[in-house]
Amino acid sequence: MPLDSTDLKRMYRKMVFARVFEETAGREFKKGNIPGWIHLSIGHEGVLVGCSYALKKSDYFFTDHRSYIMTALMGTPGEKVMAEIFGKSTGICKGKGGEMHIADPEVGSLGNNEIQGANLATCLGTAFASKIRGTNQVTAVFFGDGTVGRGEFHESLNMASVWKLPIVYVCVNNLYAISTHVRDAHPVEDLSLFASGYKIPSKIVDGNDVIKVYKSMKKAIEYVRAGNGPYFLEYKTYRWQGHFLGDPASYRPEEEVKWWKQRCPIKRLREKLLNEKILNQHEIEKIHDQIENEIENMVEFAINSPFPEETEAIKDVFDEWGVEGR
Amino acid sequence: MRTISFKQAINEALYQEMERDERVFLVGEDIGKQGGDFGVTRGLLKKFGPDRVKDTPLSEAAILGVANGAAMVGMRPVAEIMFADFTTECYDQLVNNAAKVRYIYGGSIQAPIVVRMACGAGNRTGSQHSQNIEGWLMNVPGLVLVAPSNPYDAKGLLISSIRNNDPVVFFEHKKLYNMIGEVLEESYTVPLFKAGIKKSGDDITIISYMNMVHEALLASRDLEKEEIDVEIIDLRTLIPLDKETIYNSVRKTGRVVITYEAPKTGGLGAEIASLLAEYCFDDLKAPIKRVAALDTPVPFSPALEDYILPNKNDIYKAVKELIL
Repeated sequence: MPLDSTDLKRMYRKMVFARVFEETAGREFKKGNIPGWIHLSIGHEGVLVGCSYALKKSDYFFTDHRSYIMTALMGTPGEKVMAEIFGKSTGICKGKGGEMHIADPEVGSLGNNEIQGANLATCLGTAFASKIRGTNQVTAVFFGDGTVGRGEFHESLNMASVWKLPIVYVCVNNLYAISTHVRDAHPVEDLSLFASGYKIPSKIVDGNDVIKVYKSMKKAIEYVRAGNGPYFLEYKTYRWQGHFLGDPASYRPEEEVKWWKQRCPIKRLREKLLNEKILNQHEIEKIHDQIENEIENMVEFAINSPFPEETEAIKDVFDEWGVEGR
Repeated sequence: MRTISFKQAINEALYQEMERDERVFLVGEDIGKQGGDFGVTRGLLKKFGPDRVKDTPLSEAAILGVANGAAMVGMRPVAEIMFADFTTECYDQLVNNAAKVRYIYGGSIQAPIVVRMACGAGNRTGSQHSQNIEGWLMNVPGLVLVAPSNPYDAKGLLISSIRNNDPVVFFEHKKLYNMIGEVLEESYTVPLFKAGIKKSGDDITIISYMNMVHEALLASRDLEKEEIDVEIIDLRTLIPLDKETIYNSVRKTGRVVITYEAPKTGGLGAEIASLLAEYCFDDLKAPIKRVAALDTPVPFSPALEDYILPNKNDIYKAVKELIL
């Protein structure tokens, strides 16, 4: 399906949504309104939006470490995601998950994970279930470059290939696992090379070009849905800030950060939209204003929502067995 | 009633649940063509086919990944980890994932898996094929630990475990696999979270599970001759514990021996002794005793293995020390 101007406008809107959501979450974190820590996805919008635009709600996906926003991009109300990272009872996981555990089975989101690699094992199960039920659902699993070092990565690719499971592996290669550069952690910088050892076809794509991301993801999904077994995508991209907010990221040369910021995925689509006269400057500004407004409302919703009742802490441990309270 | 072996009872439970519910499938190493390293799944591949009896590469994390992921989208997987010792290879899937998904996702997702594993010592299989690992898992909120002591319970507890919505680790003690016992032919359940009273008595409570229940029964026969009336509790579900049954028994007898085959330190014995100190202190007429394995790895040589493992004589001695 080729992208028409409506699609491009939607994708632009979604990228701006992801960016503003994260910038706002960062601001609220600094104000002390968000507990714990926060792993922002600023810079990854090309991958997040290109991929989510290609997935169906009936498919399954597991996001990577800094991509809770993807669940909102797939259709979960943004205020429920915002409330979750605020730790509020109105959050999509009742405030018990937090920014690293956002799931919503209604949109196919089966969660991100604090343990890198865990989802690479778990995704085998959703894909296996789809395969034996004959439902044609695809599982997309997102992970960073660092996760390639985990044993589960290799167990997963091996088993998925042998069993021809419907999995799209999406390696979001942003060059750094916290402070460790991909070249210091792996013998190759193109991590999709690992896929060839498991006889899984792969493609390296510019992750900051949302159109290329969408097209490659769409193709991979079609290949996998047709029963050909797994496919491996490697998106080269960059996170603009430290691993978590507050990490000064002094391990990265300034020039490198500057170079990547010039390749901002949002800026690139905006230039295309302006050049091709799909949107004018005024319309662009209107989109930004609207989204900022929407997201301020989400923050307000989160701030005004109550924290969970303490008794919530002892619920959902077991299905039938009650855990003693204090 | 008809008699069959412990492993046949497990096989029958799997067979009947797979027939009843098409969401149930098996995944593990050598469970299909081989029928399991201990023959527990023999015949199931032929009956249910390779999609529902899935042989895997040597990838325990992936095996539990298959189970967890499938369970999260509505299947009822039964995974086999060939030896409990290999749980280290899939610990993350069990502890950080299966046990937590319902909680961290606010109840919107669950992982109703059963993980069967052969555990236990006494077979001269060395330090990495002989362990009892309940101590590694018992302080992970969200995991249910089930440990049958006989064929009847094995079948009924496994069926309950498959139907239960929580992740269950199902321990199968290797020494029990060939035990013969009465087992109903039709499908039935033995309730989880409920201990069994193997023998009623007034003088002392012996709390046990799996193979050590039988050592306790043997010890009780010797003690009977000396007119010591033993009550034996078979925990069946280790976590969450059936505290009521334990407390009621101890309130009656006032004396307790806890016996299990895992290393003595930091296991069920420590937990139960703590509970009794906390909730039944005034009922106790004597100190609480634990009869367990020594705190060593399991050695290979029969002479050494027999030395470190607890048996009926150790239980007998412990009881005698409490009843002067």
